[in-house]
Amino acid sequence: MSYLSLTNVTKQFGDTVVVDSFNLEMEKGEFVSFLGPSGCGKTTTLRMVAGFEVPTSGTIKLDGVDITDKAPNQRNVGMIFQAYALFPNMTVAQNIGFGLKVRKMPSEEAKERVNEMISLINLEKHAHKYPYQLSGGQQQRVSLARALAIRPDVLLLDEPLSALDAKIRVSLRAEIRAIQKRLGITAIFVTHDQEEALSISDRIVVMNVGEMEQVGTPFEIYNFPKTQFVANFVGSLNNADAEVVDPANGILAMDGVHFKTADEGMKNRRKGEQVKISVRPERFSFAVEPLKDNVVESTIENITFLGSVVRIQISIGSTKFNMDTFNNPFLELPAIGAKEKVMCSKEAVLVL
Amino acid sequence: MAQTALTLKKNDGTAANWRTWLGIAPFLLFAVLFLFLPSLRLFTASFTDPDGNFTLNNIIQLFSEPFIVNAYKLSIQISAVTALGGGILGFLMAYAVTVGGLPRSLRSVLITFSGVASNFAGVPLAFAFVATIGRQGFITHILRDYFGLNIYDHGFNLYSFAGLSLVYMYFQFPLMVLIMAPALDGLKREWREAAENLGATTAQYWLRVAFPVLLPSILGAMILLFGNAFGAYATAYALTGGRIGIVTIQIGAQIRGDVLYNPGLGYAMAIGMVVIMAISLAGYSWLQAKTERWLR
Amino acid sequence: MSFWRRLRKFPFLSWLWLIIGALYFVLPLIATLEFSLSWDPELPLKAYQRAFEDNDFWETFLYSNALAVATIVVSVILIVPTAYWIRLRLPEARRLVEFITLMPFVVPAIILVFGLIRIYSSSLDVPFTEIELMPPLTNFKMGTNILIVAGYTVLAMPYMYRSVDTGMRTVDIRTLTEAAQSLGASWFTIIARIILPNIRSALLSGALLTFAIVVGEVTLASFLGVDAFGPYLFLIGQHRAYEPAALSFVTFLLTWLAMGLIQLFTGGQGQAAGAH
Ligand SMILES: Nc1ncnc2c1ncn2[C@@H]1O[C@H](COP(=O)(O)OP(=O)(O)O)[C@@H](O)[C@H]1O
Ligand SMILES: [Mg+2]
Repeated sequence: MSYLSLTNVTKQFGDTVVVDSFNLEMEKGEFVSFLGPSGCGKTTTLRMVAGFEVPTSGTIKLDGVDITDKAPNQRNVGMIFQAYALFPNMTVAQNIGFGLKVRKMPSEEAKERVNEMISLINLEKHAHKYPYQLSGGQQQRVSLARALAIRPDVLLLDEPLSALDAKIRVSLRAEIRAIQKRLGITAIFVTHDQEEALSISDRIVVMNVGEMEQVGTPFEIYNFPKTQFVANFVGSLNNADAEVVDPANGILAMDGVHFKTADEGMKNRRKGEQVKISVRPERFSFAVEPLKDNVVESTIENITFLGSVVRIQISIGSTKFNMDTFNNPFLELPAIGAKEKVMCSKEAVLVL
Repeated sequence: MAQTALTLKKNDGTAANWRTWLGIAPFLLFAVLFLFLPSLRLFTASFTDPDGNFTLNNIIQLFSEPFIVNAYKLSIQISAVTALGGGILGFLMAYAVTVGGLPRSLRSVLITFSGVASNFAGVPLAFAFVATIGRQGFITHILRDYFGLNIYDHGFNLYSFAGLSLVYMYFQFPLMVLIMAPALDGLKREWREAAENLGATTAQYWLRVAFPVLLPSILGAMILLFGNAFGAYATAYALTGGRIGIVTIQIGAQIRGDVLYNPGLGYAMAIGMVVIMAISLAGYSWLQAKTERWLR
Repeated sequence: MSFWRRLRKFPFLSWLWLIIGALYFVLPLIATLEFSLSWDPELPLKAYQRAFEDNDFWETFLYSNALAVATIVVSVILIVPTAYWIRLRLPEARRLVEFITLMPFVVPAIILVFGLIRIYSSSLDVPFTEIELMPPLTNFKMGTNILIVAGYTVLAMPYMYRSVDTGMRTVDIRTLTEAAQSLGASWFTIIARIILPNIRSALLSGALLTFAIVVGEVTLASFLGVDAFGPYLFLIGQHRAYEPAALSFVTFLLTWLAMGLIQLFTGGQGQAAGAH
């Protein structure tokens, strides 16, 4: 049986359904991300798990116990807020010890736990500082320690990194993941940043206006998106209209150019049906080996340098595509307007 | 060469500085003429005997003359009671319209009302309360006719300590609302949620987080309320016609005519008031520094 | 959401505090209104009619209004250039000036008037001579007018200064000044044509607050012996029953009007006064 389960959880504010029939089973120690655009109901779902919102219908169970209606302070669920939410009138140590104090833990034991937490987040030197004396990254680490100090059954993180600058965001997310693994704590991490979700999660729930679009490992979500929304939201994507030519063999035509796809759903389509196809930019490459499934003629339209990646805009027939290729000092780029053969595997062509 | 340039610049700087201060000279002159000189005059006069010689007698009498000591006691008591009472009621109301879960629209209504009520003082306020709970007042009649309770038989008197406190409260608690509403707005929702999330009850949240965070504002407001009542004269005079012996009324009597047979004592009383107010303000800034050490 | 769950979330206590406070607010007003209308059942507005028929009412009321206007003018002339100069050139004077503007909290009206009377009830002479520089201000009408307007200006200082300073903070007067200077404007033009119009809502709220303080003021007016509205109201309160109630209610409505206008102009940032 799963450790945390949300069954048909629905939340309405007035007449608007903000979360619609949310279902999720989480194992103990699992790290799950909720990924979706702003306003899609991630925070609301998280707040229902924390107890700050009561679901309109559905149940939430933790370790087999129904906690749907339990008050937040009866749940033993740790929460981390985007804006840190440290108590301004308490030092780092007092903030971390707050949960222990209100639980009336003996002071010796509490002190020990606080010290343990402080060294966990490497802020020994700052234990007696007030929040305003700390940087944003340090504050969020204190907030992590404060949530972990009570040994919560579940850790909830609501966009904990989005107020921080890019460098700290990357290092802190690695730190959060490492600590989560070390403590074996079950965690839900809310973010609208796909890279963040892909890099640290065991599984990702992709959400869109109150609905779950897809649940899967980062690998599945990225490589086998089940819906147009997921495909578009996670990673960047080329989209084009195409027509089914041969459903049995997975042949499509786009502007008269034939493409082969490995998509399972093709078998159920009719010849002549209009579909949308999607290809990720990095799945295209210049045709050096002739064995690939799809090798087509293209025109180079534009070249944009993005750092580690070079993005080349090509047109195939009258449709424009982006093609990403890794940057290296020996890269020979074609001239704009040149004709080049490009290729991609049949697995790269998604029909959605 | 470099040195002369430096000294020149310095000279220039001080000259400019001196002239810059001229910009606020009219204001300073006004303050000296109509605020500091009058205060200073009272101060020096309180150390002068009727013949114009230096004396400490007035100050000594301030502490030994029973009716003066009582006037101070009464003033301090009324100010403290109404600051506390008005402070508590005002705090609760500000709480209700900010974080207490009432509709947003009530907030601006209450704020406007508080602006009015905190300025509704003096003679009209006294009359309003006479019409309300005077002997023939509206509420007095209602209580008598419908509840069989004659408050005047139970020792209530509008012209007494209790009555005056009740009237003062009318401008005290709206002032508290005006000060506390923005402060309560400053309490972040996340603090409450973080506290609950860590297992705290509502009471624990208020005791350990909200109240300490609000403390500087509360202290400041209380000092303001205290001073507001302590310096009040018109309301008390209009209500009691000078029959209640608070300090301001005694000083008023002293200005009208020398009822103490010693003008120096009147000055000393006035300076005593200033000193009490100054001490409470100083105490406030000291406390504020202590309670605000976690703020920038 | 179930009925019980909703009931649990209903803010009973908040409503309770609000209702207690609201009763405190309105009961005295209702009582005053009720009393003012009860003179003659045939003629409910008799008290108001009588009150407004009294010539003294109009004289004192207009006089108080004139005092209020004079106070506002003096305050603006005194405080706007000062606040402006401090923001622009003299930030080191900020603490001093703020301290001075807060002094009226330490020196209440009754003390202030005491001191003013003691100083200005004797003539100002050239030291060690009999040459009179200035006669005792309290001895002639213009002199008392000067004294009382000065006193009111002191009492209004905390509110006026705060309003003006806040107004100047929000419009970035430095940039405005530099822009005007680069176009060749004089100091007078800058203040009168650029600064004042840009802080007019702050000025208006300060002015209305000053107005609310001055029009009903009793302490300074009665000790300086001027025939202002406050002492008049006090006086008829001693001799009549119904007219004072009517006038009290009218005063309340005026205060309400002033505060409502402040709310309107400052977008809910209204401030507290306190000249009691
Ligand atoms: N208390 C509330 N009352 C009404 N609507 C709300 C409330 N909280 C959130 N919403 C709405 O619910 C939707 C989802 O919000 P939220 O869960 O915060 O989204 P996310 O965290 O994914 O950005 C938004 O459209 C938001 O406006
Ligand atoms: Mg959110």
